[in-house]
Amino acid sequence: MIVGGCDIGSATGKAVVMKDGQIISYSIVASTTKPELTSRMAMDEAIAKAGLRSIEDLAYIVGTGYGRLKVPFANENISEITCHGRGAQWMVPSVRTVVDIGGQDCKVMSLNDKGKVLEFVMNDRCAAGTGRFFEAMARVLGLTLGELSELALKGKNPALITSQCSVFAESEVVTLVNEGKELADIVAGLHNSIAGRLNSMVRKVGLVKDVALTGGCAKNAGLAKALSAQLKVDVIKLPHDPQITGAIGAALIAAEKAAERGRAQEAATSTLRGKEA
Amino acid sequence: METGLKSKALEQFQEVTATLINPSVRQWKDQGGKVIGYFCTHVPDEIFTAAGMLPFRMRATGSDGTELSDAFYSSINCSFPRHCFNMALRGEFDLLDGLIVPNSCDHIRRIYDNWKSQLQTGFVEVFSLPKKTGEPQVGWYRDELLLLRGKLEKHFGVKITDEKLRSAIKLHNENRRLLRRLYEFRKADHPPITGAQVLAVVVAGTAMPRDQYNALLKELLKDLEGAEGIKDYRARIMVVGGILDDPEYIEIIEGQGGLVVTDFLCFGTRLFWVDVPEKGDPIEAIARYQVQLRPTCPRTYGDQPRRIKFIKDMIRDFKVDGVIGERLLFCDPWVVEHYMNDLDLKEAGVPFLKLDREYILSGKGQIRTRVQAFLEMMGR
Repeated sequence: MIVGGCDIGSATGKAVVMKDGQIISYSIVASTTKPELTSRMAMDEAIAKAGLRSIEDLAYIVGTGYGRLKVPFANENISEITCHGRGAQWMVPSVRTVVDIGGQDCKVMSLNDKGKVLEFVMNDRCAAGTGRFFEAMARVLGLTLGELSELALKGKNPALITSQCSVFAESEVVTLVNEGKELADIVAGLHNSIAGRLNSMVRKVGLVKDVALTGGCAKNAGLAKALSAQLKVDVIKLPHDPQITGAIGAALIAAEKAAERGRAQEAATSTLRGKEA
Repeated sequence: METGLKSKALEQFQEVTATLINPSVRQWKDQGGKVIGYFCTHVPDEIFTAAGMLPFRMRATGSDGTELSDAFYSSINCSFPRHCFNMALRGEFDLLDGLIVPNSCDHIRRIYDNWKSQLQTGFVEVFSLPKKTGEPQVGWYRDELLLLRGKLEKHFGVKITDEKLRSAIKLHNENRRLLRRLYEFRKADHPPITGAQVLAVVVAGTAMPRDQYNALLKELLKDLEGAEGIKDYRARIMVVGGILDDPEYIEIIEGQGGLVVTDFLCFGTRLFWVDVPEKGDPIEAIARYQVQLRPTCPRTYGDQPRRIKFIKDMIRDFKVDGVIGERLLFCDPWVVEHYMNDLDLKEAGVPFLKLDREYILSGKGQIRTRVQAFLEMMGR
């Protein structure tokens, strides 16, 4: 059975196609201002990569993410909190805490051994601890996101940056730059400040190993390192692209729903047959 | 969430709640009546009814900014007094003949100073609420009531006799009984009324002459008899928190399938779950009711065990699946209360979700995501 998950975030749209519990293709596209369009673009790309003819080949599709209500072809929508929990634990069954850092929000979920969310905290009121923060800092420093991540690993004496607010942090960075502080140390300091913010969120739901980092910012090795150092627990490495975790979770739920629907239809047919007999 | 409920009374309540100064208040003024604004459920509105005045519970419905009031508050004050005082500075409360500001919390308490310094309302008084539930506090409350009675009588040239107080208590108690009957309908497996609709009903009661309101409430109760129940919900939710007067907030929760079946809110059960004793000295009765008998708000120290028991009884009686604790950002009493409730509810195995909000509804998408995830977490 082939199913799909579609995660429409603020920065990117992700689609995953799964067949019998295996990922056969996925896509990541930049978000447009129309979630319907973003989801169509992401899904079309994933379908093409999977070698399928059309969306009709998918038995069930679950939408998730900020634009989940606007995925026109989804059978239903599930919150990204549930999906990230499911996706992360499917990849690594020992995961009990998920730190998801997306384009405009970050969240921490604690899970039971079945991938069910027990508790969650979410910051979607400010840019602190989100992709937007890193984008803003990269812009101020004239770096790409990749360079930002690499530099963070090189900082030997991280600068102390106390603001997690992207506006105030920017002022602090400008001050440090003008004081002649090493760029790598400033960047490492920025990562430490955000890791601190995430650490406090993790403490709210309770730190239980293993900890997984998901979402687009999970690709930032500097952040993973800073967070591991603060948690005093190594953040585990996921076997798939961490940015598609939500879409994987959505596809897993889609597979369950399709199976449920199949069973219900079977039951209905057999009752009908019974009556005919 | 669909209800087949057709009720003219309900429509009227919804209109009153959606308007800051509704037609019945204007009518009251036009006929020469006095209107007294007051903050907080712990202010005894019976005394205004007994004085022949219309008690009007303060809120800032329709506010869209705090441009005038921000200068009078610090960055750690919550948005409720900001919006209320902004409305006042815009002149929206010019029709008030008086205002009672209790020391519910430091945020609300500051309204008194600001109001006194900036506005010309003739009668502005502080009502000093005790912080505990013992006998000395009943005495304190009684003294405050006597003081207020004296001040009202002197300023407005009225006589607030014990007899008038007794009949005001009876009228307000009738209102409480009617509201409890409304809540009885919500215990059903398929309640005929949504939580958003009920909030509109309760809020309206704080902005209308009580007898008029009671009559309309009886009509609503009649309309509810035999009305079709709501079946398409995913879970039964109880909302616990402070000043929530916007039905749209509840609509967002219900839009995700979480039917709100009961509450522990300022505009909710804390107003009417217990009656004021009708026998004995009315001043003493009101004082005892306010300090000891009714469910208190977290501003009262040492009473959380009684409050959580009330909440747990509600969870049982209304078959609640999960509790949502709402709080205005910067509200100190509720941040501590939700923390304690969280621990207690966890121990009792009841799912609990904390939501921070601003007085004016904002970030709907963010509320939706949290509520949806909460329902999914509950396996609904």
